[in-house]
Amino acid sequence: MAAGFKTADPLEYHRSFLKENCRPDGRELHEFRTTTVNIGSISTADGSALVKLGNTTVICGVKAELANPSVEATGKGFIVPNVDLPPLCSSQFRPGPPGEQAQAASQFMADIIESSEMLQMEDLCIERGKLCWSLYCDLICLDYDGNLLDACALTMLAALKNTRLPKVRVNGETGAPEVDLGKRRGLKIRRHPVAASFCIFDDSVLLVDPAAEEEQLATARLTVVTDEEGRLCGVHKPGGTPLSGERLQELIGRATVRQKEIHRLIDKVIKSIV
Amino acid sequence: MPVDTRRVRGPEVSQSPLLFACKPAAVFSSHGPRADGRQRDQVDVRPVFVRCGLVSQAKGSAYMEAGDTKLMCCVYGPRETERKDDTDMKCGRLTTDMRFAPFSCPERGSWIQGSQDKDFSLMLHESLQPALCLHKYPRSQIEVNVMVLENSGSVLAHAVTCASLALADAGIEMYDLVLGCAIRQDGASYVVDPTYAEENGNGSDSSDNQGRLTLAFLPSLNQVSGLQSDGEMTEESLSAGVRTCIEGCYKIYPVIQQALAKAVRRAAPPPSES
Amino acid sequence: MATVQVSEAEKVYILHGIRDDLRVDGRGCEDYRHMEIETDVVSNTDGSAKVSLGHTAVLVGIKAEIGKPRPMAPNEGYLEFFVDCSANATPEFEGRGGEELGKELSNTLYKVFNNKHSVDLKKLCISKGEHCWVLYVDVLLLQCDGNLYDAMSVAIKAALFSTKIPKVHISNDEEGGKEIELSDDPFDCMRLDVENVPCIVTLCKVGHRHVVDATLQEKACSVASLIISVTHKGTVTCVRKMGGGSLDPESIFEMTETGKRVGKALHVPLMKLLQQEESLGTRQKVGFLG
Repeated sequence: MAAGFKTADPLEYHRSFLKENCRPDGRELHEFRTTTVNIGSISTADGSALVKLGNTTVICGVKAELANPSVEATGKGFIVPNVDLPPLCSSQFRPGPPGEQAQAASQFMADIIESSEMLQMEDLCIERGKLCWSLYCDLICLDYDGNLLDACALTMLAALKNTRLPKVRVNGETGAPEVDLGKRRGLKIRRHPVAASFCIFDDSVLLVDPAAEEEQLATARLTVVTDEEGRLCGVHKPGGTPLSGERLQELIGRATVRQKEIHRLIDKVIKSIV
Repeated sequence: MPVDTRRVRGPEVSQSPLLFACKPAAVFSSHGPRADGRQRDQVDVRPVFVRCGLVSQAKGSAYMEAGDTKLMCCVYGPRETERKDDTDMKCGRLTTDMRFAPFSCPERGSWIQGSQDKDFSLMLHESLQPALCLHKYPRSQIEVNVMVLENSGSVLAHAVTCASLALADAGIEMYDLVLGCAIRQDGASYVVDPTYAEENGNGSDSSDNQGRLTLAFLPSLNQVSGLQSDGEMTEESLSAGVRTCIEGCYKIYPVIQQALAKAVRRAAPPPSES
Repeated sequence: MATVQVSEAEKVYILHGIRDDLRVDGRGCEDYRHMEIETDVVSNTDGSAKVSLGHTAVLVGIKAEIGKPRPMAPNEGYLEFFVDCSANATPEFEGRGGEELGKELSNTLYKVFNNKHSVDLKKLCISKGEHCWVLYVDVLLLQCDGNLYDAMSVAIKAALFSTKIPKVHISNDEEGGKEIELSDDPFDCMRLDVENVPCIVTLCKVGHRHVVDATLQEKACSVASLIISVTHKGTVTCVRKMGGGSLDPESIFEMTETGKRVGKALHVPLMKLLQQEESLGTRQKVGFLG
C-alpha cells in the first residue's frame, strides 16, 4: 500500500511525513544521514578516500603527475578535480561526456579549493618555472542517492589528507627530474572546508541532507561551505524559491556545526590509519 | 588544440612520475615463488571477497575484491529498449559498459573511454550473453555497468564473475552463473590469476611461449562462454591453459554461491522471522 | 556484422550437409573458398594488397611514417590498425553503422600482433627514444560475404610483404643535433620479414562440427565461432570466442587443433605465391575489376 502511494503521488507521500515532522527514511528534518569515511583503500592512487553519506557513495583517487608550471603562475602547481557520474550510479545518467550536473559539480569542487585556500598552490611547485605537481582528483559516484556535493567535497578533502607525494629533485646537469618513489610525504592541508546541503520543500519546509527523491521534489536547493574558523567559503543556490536573510544565517550556523562534526570524523579516521 | 570545456582544465601535458623513478620497479621474475606468496604452476587463485546488493539505485549490484583488484558492477533493467531499429524484437538486448577509474592503474588513465575499455565491454558482452535467458525479456534491454576501481591484474575474468553475480542479484533469469579465470603462460611454467605486474611483465626473454588467456565458464552446464588470448602460445599450452582456467573457476564457485545465497536470504527473510 | 536471414528449412539443409562433410557449395569442412591475392595495388601507399575470398573482398594499405617511440618501448617502432567498413560492402555500414564492427576488428588485430615475433619492431626504430617508423595499417572492407577475419589477415600479411620502407641516414650536424635524411633512391629500401606474421583462421561451430571459411548462410546457422591466429610454425598468437553462444571445452580443443592445422597449411602456398609474384617484376596489373 505504502509503496503504491509513494509511486502514485510522491509529493503527497512526502508531505504526509513532513506534517509529522519526520522523513520517509526515519530522519528528523535537520538530521544528516550516517556518514562514514574510509581512506587509503586504493593502492594505485597517491591518495584515496571512500565516503558514504547514507546510500550515496563517492570514491576519490588522487593521482599526482609532473608538469611544467604555466607561464602566468611560474611558482604554482595544478589541482584538477573532476566529478564523474557514470551510468553505474543511477539509471538517470547516460554514458558519454559529463552531463550538466557533473560539470557543475566539478566546477564547484574547483571553486572550493580556490576560495577556501585549503591547499597552497605554491606547495605543489618543485622548481620555479620548470617543474610542478599536477594533482588529478578523480571523484566517481558509485551510488547516487542525493546530496552529491556534500559527499564529493568530503571525499576530496579526505583523499587529499591521505595523499602522499614521492620525493622529487631536479638533476642539476641534465635538468631531468629524479623521483624516489620510496620516500613520500603528505600534503599540507591548511583548511578543512566542509559542505552542507539543504533543500526547501513546498516553498517553506527546510530539509537537511536531501536524499535523491527529496532533491527531485524540492523547490530549491542550497549548499553552504564553511571552514574551521567559521569562514564562509562558498554558497551555491541554483535558482528556486527565494530565501530570507535570516533563514540563510540560520543555515550557515547549521553548516558550521556540521563542519566541526566532520572535521572531528576526519581526524579520527586519519589517526586510526597511522 | 581543442579544449575540453566540460571539465576543469589542468596543464596541457603532464607525465607520470613512474617514468622518472630512480630505481626501476621490481621486475616480474619467472622463477621461484610469486611475489604474493602464491604457488607457481598450480591452480592458486587469490581469495575473493564478494558482496551483493550494495548500490541502492540499481536493480542488482555486486562488489568484488581479489587481492588488490577491486571492481563493482551494477545492473539496470529490464527496461524499454533504446534502439528502436533493432529488427529482432523477440529477444531482449544486453548492453555492457566496462570502465576503468582514472586512478585504477599505476599510470593515470584518461577521462575518455579508450578503445581498450570498449574491447573489454565487448568481451564481457560475449561472455555473459550465453548465460542469459534473453528470450524472456522481449522488447527490453538489460544494462550491465562495470567500474574497475583498482586494477591488480585479471580484471576481465573478475569482471565477468562480478557481472554475473550482479545479474543474478537483479533477478534476471539465467541458465547458469558465469565465472572467469585468467592465466599467464611464461615459458614452460604458468601463473593462475596473475597480478598486474605478472600480467604485464616481460618474463624470461628467451622463451617463445609467452601468453595471456582469459576464460569465462558456465560451471553447471560445463560450457565455455568466453575465451580470449594474446601473446604467443603453443597449441598444447593453450589447451592446458583452458583446462587450468576451468579448474580455477571451480575454485571460486562455492564463494560466489554463498554470496548469492546470502543476498537472497537477506532480501527475502523466511516468514518465521518476520 | 552483415547478416542474412535463413529459413528453418534452409538451416536444416545446411546442417545436415555439414554433418556429412559436404557443404552447399561443394566444399569439405576444412576447405577455403577460391582466394585471389594481388599486391601493390595502390600506388601511393608503401605497401598494399587486395584479397578476395569468395565474394568477400578486402583492401589493405600500409603507410610508413616517422613518429616518436612509445615511452615504454624506446627502441621499437609500432603498428597502428584501422579498419574501415565501407558502405559499399553492405548498406548496414552506412553512416556510423560500420564503426562498431571496425573497432572490433581493429582491436582484434592489435591482439593478434601483440607479441615479440610477428613483426620485428626493433627494426622499425630509427634512433632510440627519438624517432621510429610507425606503420599505419588501413584495412578497407569492400565486400562482405563472411569470414572477414581470415581475408583481412591474409591481406595484411601480403601487404606487409610488399611494404617498402625508405632507408634513412642519421647525420650529426655542427651543433650536435641530429638530422634525418631520407634516401632519394626508390630502390634503396628496407623490407620486412613477414615469415612470422600470423594468419587468422575462423572456425564456425555448426551443429556438432566446425567449418572453416563459413559463408554468411553458414554463419547464420552457427551460434558461436572461434578465431585463432596461427603462425607458420603453428604458434597461436590470439584466440577469441565470437558470437552469442557458448562452446563445450572438448570442442574448443578440437577447434584449436583444426585451427592450427589449417593455419599452418595456409602459410606455405601464401608465401610461395607472394614470392612468385615478386619475382615476376613489373607485371600487368589486374586491378579491382579483374
